[in-house]
Amino acid sequence: MAALMSERLRTSLGPLTLANPFVNASGTYGYGIEYASFVDVARLGGVSVKGISLQPRPGNSPPRTCETSAGMLNSIGLANIGIDVFLAETLPQLRELGVTVIVNTFATSIEDFVALAARFDKETGIAALELNISCPNVHAGGMHFGVSGAAAAEVTGAVRAVTDLPLMVKLSPEAGDIGEVARGVESAGADVISMINTIRGMVIDVDRRRPMLGQKMGGMSGPAIKPLGVRMVYEVFQQVSIPIIGMGGIASLRDALEYLMAGASAVQVGTANYSEPGISLRLADELEAWCSERDLTVSDLVGCAQGD
Amino acid sequence: MVQYPAMKYLHTRITEVTYPARDHALLRFAAAGEDIPAVPGEFVMIRGNWGCHPVLPRAFSLVESGAHGAVLVKAIGPGTQLLESMQLDDELVVFGALGKGYRIDDSGLRPVLVAGGVGVAPLLFLARELTARGQRPLFLYGARTEDDLPLADEIAEVAELIITTEDGSVGEQGLITAPLQRALRDGTDSIVYTCGPDGMLKAVAGVSQSHSTPCQVALEAPMACGMGTCKGCAVPVPDGSFKYVCYDGPVFDAEVIYGCADE
Repeated sequence: MAALMSERLRTSLGPLTLANPFVNASGTYGYGIEYASFVDVARLGGVSVKGISLQPRPGNSPPRTCETSAGMLNSIGLANIGIDVFLAETLPQLRELGVTVIVNTFATSIEDFVALAARFDKETGIAALELNISCPNVHAGGMHFGVSGAAAAEVTGAVRAVTDLPLMVKLSPEAGDIGEVARGVESAGADVISMINTIRGMVIDVDRRRPMLGQKMGGMSGPAIKPLGVRMVYEVFQQVSIPIIGMGGIASLRDALEYLMAGASAVQVGTANYSEPGISLRLADELEAWCSERDLTVSDLVGCAQGD
Repeated sequence: MVQYPAMKYLHTRITEVTYPARDHALLRFAAAGEDIPAVPGEFVMIRGNWGCHPVLPRAFSLVESGAHGAVLVKAIGPGTQLLESMQLDDELVVFGALGKGYRIDDSGLRPVLVAGGVGVAPLLFLARELTARGQRPLFLYGARTEDDLPLADEIAEVAELIITTEDGSVGEQGLITAPLQRALRDGTDSIVYTCGPDGMLKAVAGVSQSHSTPCQVALEAPMACGMGTCKGCAVPVPDGSFKYVCYDGPVFDAEVIYGCADE
């Protein structure tokens, strides 16, 4: 069974090969180690860890989350332990557990992105770097890299120059032309595109007559945004030749199949981890069975909905 | 390494539903062969098999643990309404027990338990545990009206129960802080364990502090993951940092949350 699974579900994303296409999305699965006592985290296609910055960050004032129709808003503010603690304490545990580690990283300046990447480059046990140039929840920076092709290319190129790690760039649905941003990061040396990050939304507390969240706005995720993500993956697939990891609202096998067929070579599962911490492994097993019944592999599915 | 050795992750079913008060359901579920280990104050995340809305599970303090878990649900929003309407044998995804529960004093202090609303759930569990240890808790239970007092009969079996209602429909009319003041004034060295609405918790902590009585409060906050990964349930505390309800709590020493009045 294990051997069969590794054959059918194995997916190649340029220099990055995943045993199956299910990666848990940054910000929704901690550092992965929290789940290790009851989820076989090594069997996941990968874990994209909570975004790491140079300094630890305490995060935004609460409330930080609220629910929406078939989704949720968050304005966590990239609360994280910082690179020093991550490298000293967390990464060794991930290595020991055998997790396929995608290090999501975040900065507000190109210099800081470069400093982070240069340090990660020296470490073992990192399968890929994922640059978050698209967080909607942090003032003064972050997302401005993600809404212009030139800015996205500049930060990608600067990081590319200091690391040989497989380089993934996470795109924002808030870009006016996400295809332009995708082409920009491809031209600057990105190996993989991950998309989409959350899109800003708001909920009003009608009793208080004020926005529900402490930061007023928050990033929207969950099943409600899936059609947006699928459409954007479909469009970007036509404009770049590097592989795509699709995400946004995946909560079932059918959702994952939609992303693969739109053009994603792998997927990330985010909000659904909250309702079912083992969902990615369940979906991997369901995909294995689905492909087996049809004698298909994952690579047969990637982009198969393209064309007339 | 971060360890959750007692953690259970269950796809299980409801084994019993009772309705202890208007709009309240007590859901019991099987622990699927292995006990759910928990101390009073710890909680579980629960979600039914209801599709993609609402997406998030809900956090509930355990009323009991062991071969069965049980939680007290009050129907308020879409998620709790769905849970409150669940039937025998319906599917549940449950994980827990999570967080840090009450640290039970065994130095001889008199336990005074102060509950408001669904805050009664962990305190009934605690009262039973204290009784099993040979302690005799005083249980102060406040509500708006007589319809908002689930599980009062069960409490009366294991504790000396004093009820207050705001409308006087049962028990003393007024707020729960009145009998708390009396109890702490009687000179018996006590410890207060409390759970309920934020305003009540703060008032109970204030009364406790004015009598130099230790007080543990169980907080509630919106949360997505329940186990320290989403960073959603942050509570600002007086030292300027955040505490996370799901893994620093939900039970805290009151001064951690509200500070010390005499500082």
